[in-house]
Amino acid sequence: MNDEASSIPLVSADHVVKIFNGGGQRSAAVRGVSLEARRGELILLLGPSGSGKTTLLTLMAGLCRPSEGKITLFGRSLADYARAELQRLRARKMGFVFQTFLLLDSLTVRENVEIVLRFSGSSKTGRSERAFGLLRDLGIASLAGKFPATLSQGQKQRVAIARAVANDAELILADEPTGSLETNQGIAIIRLLHALAKDRGKCVIVASHDLRLAEYADRILRLEDGCVVREEEGPSISGTCSPAKGRSGDAPAPPDPARSCGAGYG
Amino acid sequence: MDMYALRTLRRHPLRLALTIGGVALCIILMFFLLAVYRGAADGSVDYIRRNPADLWILQQNATNILRGSSLVSEVESRAVAETPGVAEVSTVLFLLSAVRKGDKLGTVFLAGYDPAKSMGGPPEIETGRNVEADGEIVLDRAFARKFGFRDGDEVRLQDRRFKVVGTCTGTNAFVIQYAFVTLKSARELIGIPGLATCILVRIVPGAETAAVQRAIRGRLPRVEAYDHATFLANNVREMRSGFLPLLYTVAAIGGIVLTAILSLLLSVNILERQKDFAILKTLGSPLRFLWGMVVKQALLIASLSGLVALGLFFPLVRTIERISPEVGTKTTPGQVLAVLAAVEIMSLASSLVSIRRLRRIYYLEAFA
Repeated sequence: MNDEASSIPLVSADHVVKIFNGGGQRSAAVRGVSLEARRGELILLLGPSGSGKTTLLTLMAGLCRPSEGKITLFGRSLADYARAELQRLRARKMGFVFQTFLLLDSLTVRENVEIVLRFSGSSKTGRSERAFGLLRDLGIASLAGKFPATLSQGQKQRVAIARAVANDAELILADEPTGSLETNQGIAIIRLLHALAKDRGKCVIVASHDLRLAEYADRILRLEDGCVVREEEGPSISGTCSPAKGRSGDAPAPPDPARSCGAGYG
Repeated sequence: MDMYALRTLRRHPLRLALTIGGVALCIILMFFLLAVYRGAADGSVDYIRRNPADLWILQQNATNILRGSSLVSEVESRAVAETPGVAEVSTVLFLLSAVRKGDKLGTVFLAGYDPAKSMGGPPEIETGRNVEADGEIVLDRAFARKFGFRDGDEVRLQDRRFKVVGTCTGTNAFVIQYAFVTLKSARELIGIPGLATCILVRIVPGAETAAVQRAIRGRLPRVEAYDHATFLANNVREMRSGFLPLLYTVAAIGGIVLTAILSLLLSVNILERQKDFAILKTLGSPLRFLWGMVVKQALLIASLSGLVALGLFFPLVRTIERISPEVGTKTTPGQVLAVLAAVEIMSLASSLVSIRRLRRIYYLEAFA
């Protein structure tokens, strides 16, 4: 990844406001937030419940439109995207990790990963090979034929991460990725997300109230009541969190799409 | 993802079974209506279709024997017989009559004809023999079974006694069945000698039908002479006009119920799996993919229901025919295919209803 490419924001928010109208009441979930996220960065949106971090995350994903301000996605204003274009963008360039994993319980682990590849337009045989390769990289290949209900929380979140990166997404958005995990599992997932940013050059934006994540973030935006109350550089930039440290725990190496999926990947 | 459509259905086996059962019953209803229609359609006009008459002579403006009245006289019958090109005539009198034996009582469409002639009698004798003399009667098979009349039984028509000498087929018009007596016996029942409903004509081999028709009309301006095909078509049209609206209404209700059941199930499935759909939308699923899943579920249920319906329909029809012999049904592969195709179309329609619901699923539900 060259410096020029990494210096262009993949997604940016410029004085974004999001107001929800529910039951005749207007409620501002996000108030005037500005943010830029680049390739290779892990940005943490830190705040308590109701602080607006998930809403900001969904705004950055183009899942909802800002009431005021401007969102720019992949160099283009969100307002300029048609609905179908946004759908294709999400299918090909974005990956999502949810707090409760949100795997489809009627599909096997492998099928859960394959489905994203289907949306991104991969061939049927390619999908199967890629999915299996990703599961192997994440150390859960043996679970490929199992259903989510039979997995541990940590295993589920790894499957969710495999799904998030299956389409070789440039932008990964994670909402409370450690929220449903035990401490060790949570740390493993944090390291995995960190490695995706640092080793694979992904732009990872994480919404969480988990302070442990701060250790791995490049930048931390502390939100309260929809406002950024403090923006700070994380220890990841200042060198307290080295890649070596990031992989020293029980986290497997981040999935390598090129290795898993051959030259045609992405 | 085809598996997703199947597996989500299988997660609620009781609901799936009830839905398949409900849809299958609607399909059976449609199968049954078509089978009854086909049976009645054939039964109503079989007597005419299988009659060897080349011409049917009725009073002018009477177009059929099912739902029209026609009176012709013996004088006119003789005049027809004398028309050039006519080889044979047979005068037939139709009347509705009650048949009684003890406390058993049924109504028949009684045909009085001359057994010595080749036209006007039952299309096919199933048991016993044809009418040969006054005081004898041949009953439709379904009618005889329904009321328990057997060959050799003595039955009463008004105050006259008749001996059942046989049963016949091709004479079950669903709402009423034919019975056959001699023309003289029929005339005695109404008490008006020399009266008939129509005159059946066989023309001389080689003679032109249209020419004979013209000649009869020329001699007898009070009557109309129909060729066999036209008269058959007239009766079919008459039977349909009385029967089809009812059939279509009930079939349409069955179709609406089927579509409603399917729509309900699909909508409940969507509501239950709303979060799944929101996740899929968030992950970049196009709407057509989601709709495709719903369509697959609809087609799957329709197909399974079709198989269940096919498995149940034929034993059910046999049971109904045993209980109500007058319900003459006829099922052809074409009918079965037509119903199954209609059901598949209805299942597609039911999935269309769900498109709106799919559209309204909000991405943010995945984050809730």
